[in-house]
Amino acid sequence: MEPDASIETSSMIRVAVIPISDVTPLLFREYAAMLLRHHTVSLNSISSFYTEHQKSPFAHQPWESGSLRFKFILGGSPPSPWEDFQSNRKILAVIGICHCPSAPDLRSVVDQFTAACKTYSSSLVQRCFAFCPGDSQLEDGSVKGSNLILFPPADRQTQEFHMQTMVQDIAASLLMEFEKWVLQAESGGTVFKTPLDSQASLSSEEVIKAKKRRLGRAQKTIGDYCLLAGSPVDANAHYSTSLELTRLTADFFWYAGAMEGSVCALLMDRMGQKDPVLEDEVKYRYNSVILHYRKSFIQDNAQRVSPLSFELEATLKLARFLCRRELANDVVELLTATADGATSLIDASDKLVVYVEIARLFGELGYHRKAAFFSRQVAQLYLQQDKKFAAISAMQVLAMTTKAYRVQSRASIGPSNDAGQTHADGGKVHHHSIVSLFESQWSTLQMVVLREILLSAVRAGDPLAAWSAAARLLRSYYPLITPAGQNGLFNALVNSAEKLPLGTRCSDPALPFVRLHSFPLHSSQMDIVKRNPAREDWWAGAAPSGPFIYTPFSKGEPNNSNKQELTWVVGEPVQVLVELANPCGFEVMVESIYLSVHSGNLDAFPVSVSLPPNSSKVITLSGIPTKEGLVLVPGCIVHCFGVITEHFFKEVDSLLIGATQGLVLSDPFRSCGAAKLKHAHLPSITVVPPLPLLVSHIAGGDGSVMLYEGEIRDVWISLANAGTVPVEQAHISLSGKNQDSVVTVASETLRSALPLKPGAEVTIRVTLKAWQLSKTDSDAAASKGMPGSSVRQAKDGSSPLLLIHYAGPLTTPGEPETVSAPPPGRRLVIPLNICVLQGLSFVKARLLSMEIPARIGEACSMQAQLERGNTEQVNSSERQADRLVKIDPNRGSWGLRLLELELYNPTDVVFEAGVSLDMENTNNQENLSDNISAEYGEPKTRIDRDYTARVLIPLENFKLPVLDGSFLGNSSQNNGTSGSRNNSFSEKNIKAELNASIKNLISKIKVRWQSGRNSSGELDIKDAIQAALQASVMDVLLPDPLTFGFRLAKTSSDDINVDSDVTSCESGDSIIAHEMTAMEVLVRNNTKEAIRINLSIACKDVAGENCMEGDKATVLWEGVLRGISMEVPPLEEVKHAFSLYFLIPGEYTMLAAAMIYDANEVLRARARSDALDEPIFCRGPPYHVRVSGTR
Amino acid sequence: MIVCVAVVGHQNNPLYIQSFTKGDDSLLRISILNVEGCSYHSLKRHHIVHCSLDVVDERVNNPKKSGLIINETFLGLLNPTENYKVYGYLTNTKVKFILVTTDLEVRDVDARVFFGRFHTAYVDAVSNPFHIPGKKITSRKFAERVSTIVKSFGLSSGG
Repeated sequence: MEPDASIETSSMIRVAVIPISDVTPLLFREYAAMLLRHHTVSLNSISSFYTEHQKSPFAHQPWESGSLRFKFILGGSPPSPWEDFQSNRKILAVIGICHCPSAPDLRSVVDQFTAACKTYSSSLVQRCFAFCPGDSQLEDGSVKGSNLILFPPADRQTQEFHMQTMVQDIAASLLMEFEKWVLQAESGGTVFKTPLDSQASLSSEEVIKAKKRRLGRAQKTIGDYCLLAGSPVDANAHYSTSLELTRLTADFFWYAGAMEGSVCALLMDRMGQKDPVLEDEVKYRYNSVILHYRKSFIQDNAQRVSPLSFELEATLKLARFLCRRELANDVVELLTATADGATSLIDASDKLVVYVEIARLFGELGYHRKAAFFSRQVAQLYLQQDKKFAAISAMQVLAMTTKAYRVQSRASIGPSNDAGQTHADGGKVHHHSIVSLFESQWSTLQMVVLREILLSAVRAGDPLAAWSAAARLLRSYYPLITPAGQNGLFNALVNSAEKLPLGTRCSDPALPFVRLHSFPLHSSQMDIVKRNPAREDWWAGAAPSGPFIYTPFSKGEPNNSNKQELTWVVGEPVQVLVELANPCGFEVMVESIYLSVHSGNLDAFPVSVSLPPNSSKVITLSGIPTKEGLVLVPGCIVHCFGVITEHFFKEVDSLLIGATQGLVLSDPFRSCGAAKLKHAHLPSITVVPPLPLLVSHIAGGDGSVMLYEGEIRDVWISLANAGTVPVEQAHISLSGKNQDSVVTVASETLRSALPLKPGAEVTIRVTLKAWQLSKTDSDAAASKGMPGSSVRQAKDGSSPLLLIHYAGPLTTPGEPETVSAPPPGRRLVIPLNICVLQGLSFVKARLLSMEIPARIGEACSMQAQLERGNTEQVNSSERQADRLVKIDPNRGSWGLRLLELELYNPTDVVFEAGVSLDMENTNNQENLSDNISAEYGEPKTRIDRDYTARVLIPLENFKLPVLDGSFLGNSSQNNGTSGSRNNSFSEKNIKAELNASIKNLISKIKVRWQSGRNSSGELDIKDAIQAALQASVMDVLLPDPLTFGFRLAKTSSDDINVDSDVTSCESGDSIIAHEMTAMEVLVRNNTKEAIRINLSIACKDVAGENCMEGDKATVLWEGVLRGISMEVPPLEEVKHAFSLYFLIPGEYTMLAAAMIYDANEVLRARARSDALDEPIFCRGPPYHVRVSGTR
Repeated sequence: MIVCVAVVGHQNNPLYIQSFTKGDDSLLRISILNVEGCSYHSLKRHHIVHCSLDVVDERVNNPKKSGLIINETFLGLLNPTENYKVYGYLTNTKVKFILVTTDLEVRDVDARVFFGRFHTAYVDAVSNPFHIPGKKITSRKFAERVSTIVKSFGLSSGG
């Protein structure tokens, strides 16, 4: 039984090709390859070498069209016992191949060749080809005449031509030898025997029978030689005779052989044409061949030898002849019969050949699974042989089956198969790997195959193949393998790795499973923003402007959502998170794992990790991009179990998809308890040239700033350029919540520092003002306690963000401006972590009014002021004088309103609160600021923890200096022209005006606080004040139209008096009973129009009785006190002098009142009187007069 | 006697394989793997079913050449392997039913009747809303029903 048997085999001349002397296998193969090309030599071409010595027995030799066919057997083969039966089995020629440089002595070469040829007794022609002889060897005449042929060194073409000539020479020699042999055989009495009948020659009867048969057998053999000589017609004639003779002698075996030969002759004659008639003929004849081989089965020697192998060989020959898809049924039938028959074959190698042939033929038919099945049988037969070479063969055969069973090694798939395919899983189109997942359900078969590969690889001593098989087995079928089995595989992996050199790569990954977890976004410090060169604010409208990747407001491009893009910067480390899973029952030590970068522009850093049994881990892999361009990160390189493998993310992805569809046994990540992860897409990653990189650092620590509500503090932020490119543009903006808490940002400082060279640093100041906690926040804070709430505050993200957009130069230096897109800019987000603590809390506000009568006296200051005569100045000075609640006893305070704020300190520090008023309507700004700063020195209200304290704000000072129409202007006009029709409208206007004024007023009131050494701030109580003031704001704001004042008049006599009584001046009240006291009443007009009034003055005693009139008048007077008609010019004062004579010392109260004539709208509105003719009565505050007794 | 029936999905993935031989199914554990329930005989049957897919594939791919009449679901004898005869049946959704029997004489009618019932049982099983198409059939009821059908094989027509 021989492999590759076909019907045409009968016409092939077998030539042994053997190495002579020392030829390295590589050289031998190379020389042999040159020889093998000449497997067919046309008769035409050999005619020049052929000389007809006698009449050729091949009468019908087709010299024009025929050819001789060679079958070169490298290394030769032992003689077959069936040589007589089928002449093509004989080795008819021997060709030796010798490499001269390694065999200097040509004589010994000739000797060796001659010796080697002796083993091939059947050989008719022997030649030894010696290649590359040296000059001395060429000249060596001693080998002339022997069959050593020297191939002088020449180029390949010449050598091949030389070779062709030599082969033609051999062919011609063989042909002549065949002729000789045939002539001899026809006449001679050669006996042809086969192993079948060698022992049956004992009885005489058998001898006679054999003699009878001899003729038929001889004819068959001559036919064989005719076939070999390339003369089918002659062959057919001899075979026909043989068929007749053998049938008569019932020599079925030879009959079948002759029949086979005749079929071969038929096919040769037809020169390879195939038509259905011929096919049917061949089929018919071969069926007869098979039948007769079966008939020749002799029970007697069935144990020793059997024609079964010939039967099977004939079947296979027919199957090979028919092997086409259309005839699949016939072929399958034949092959099935062969497979059935093979079970009863005795010789193991015959069995092997049969299975190999069956597998091949099935494969040719396209029945890959059947082919794989029989290949496995072949492998099992090899494995039974228990030899290393057999094991290697088994391994190789099994490797061929892996495709059918879908367990092939990744190395055998080839790189182009899968790489190009995209993940377009549109509906029914299944990805290649998904289909393989379906097929992978034949786990039982697949595991057996892999296991056999592992076994054979171990036996064959191929550690890499063993490693690969164990890896595939473990990776794909771990859920089906018991822990003990898993450990076995683990040991197999480790043992194989020990035999492998360090750093061996294997294309099949083992454990762990690696999947892409995520790409961590650029830390907010490193955001990259596309630059829009057309705009001044180049960052606008480019990349996302918020902290979100996806904003619902951006233009909806549905495809974009799952195809994100990443930008990496040359020289800046990047990170990728991957998840590893070890679903097996042993610990996996990953010696190193790093990103596999096919584009070669990333330096990946290896990480070592250990995975306990049944566990998964998310690890960070990092690297540094080295060159701009696209980055492809298809997977990871893993060094585990002593071998380096590449794990592709895509494979695990499709595995996981398969797991969700129930196609794969189990999800390795899920079985390890890893969280379910949304499928992470591999984004397209671009590396851009270096960019500037600002690094921020907040002075005093990057932690959050703890501020009490309303606290104002400066924060210093230092910005350093950590990149290699200078920052040329920078812009600071705010984002996030509570943006108004950033009072100022010193962006000028940054701008002036540009360009910021690499390594340079700039510090900018940011003034913060803590915002108010909302009601719920403070409630929560109260319930939770302060620290908890503060932490929550920081996490809430209620802090504002400082955004710095910055960019390097528009073009990289040294590079021409060819690229249209400028290098992108970046954004630095500095979260101003403000942690607002509850500070002073406002409880309530109340408006208090206070009435303290003034005293009549001569305050020196007042005097001085009056001398100046500048009323405006006087007014402001007055205000400065009595800014706070300190009430000048000489002036008193009538209708003074105080705003009382009740503050509560819930914190654990002490607060000091002070009130200040920002006056803006003074003419001297500097003066004001001086005064305000002076104000800080004023006593402060200390509020201890958990205490409530009150702060008073005098509102007197807010009175407008002039009561004029501007304030009530609109209303007065409306009233005047259109009457009450537009009353509601005008009221609205009044309200609006009022509100504006109130706001103005309120904004002036500042309650500043200080706590400890360095925290100070402002209480935000605007709303509260507004609520408190709402009702009586008119009274607070507007001055009365007239103000009255009393004072002692400075008469000349009085001057003398005063001079004489120096002491009295100091006390300030030098009114003595029983003395004429000159007094003045001052009436000031606060409006812008002159007012005519009717002034009257009254004096009351302690009891409140009018003491100037009636029977018991205690005060005598001089001058006019009643019905004094006068006109007060606008914004001026009018004096009216009079004198009083007090009879009794004690306390008196002076009152001035005036009736206003012809009041205008302003006055009426102020007096809230509607009637036009109603007189308006104006009353001044009471003045106390203390009259002392006589000295 | 039926030794094995199988359902194979449209991607040639096994959905259901059941052997019906007792006694000789000695559990031959695969030494180093300790694969659960992988006996020598069931392995052999897996191979038979797997190999028969070659023929089914061929008929599916070139229905004209192999003389398959359109709408004919019954594929007939696929191939005789060793001592077994393998019959096939192909649904419109390219799901294949495979029947492996040791009977030397099987009437086509019997096989057709068997596959008809088997198909109905399969349809019922995959109509279960909890069944994921493409996943192996694990329904116990289906298994019971199949074994009933297998037992009644050949009886209906008085074989």
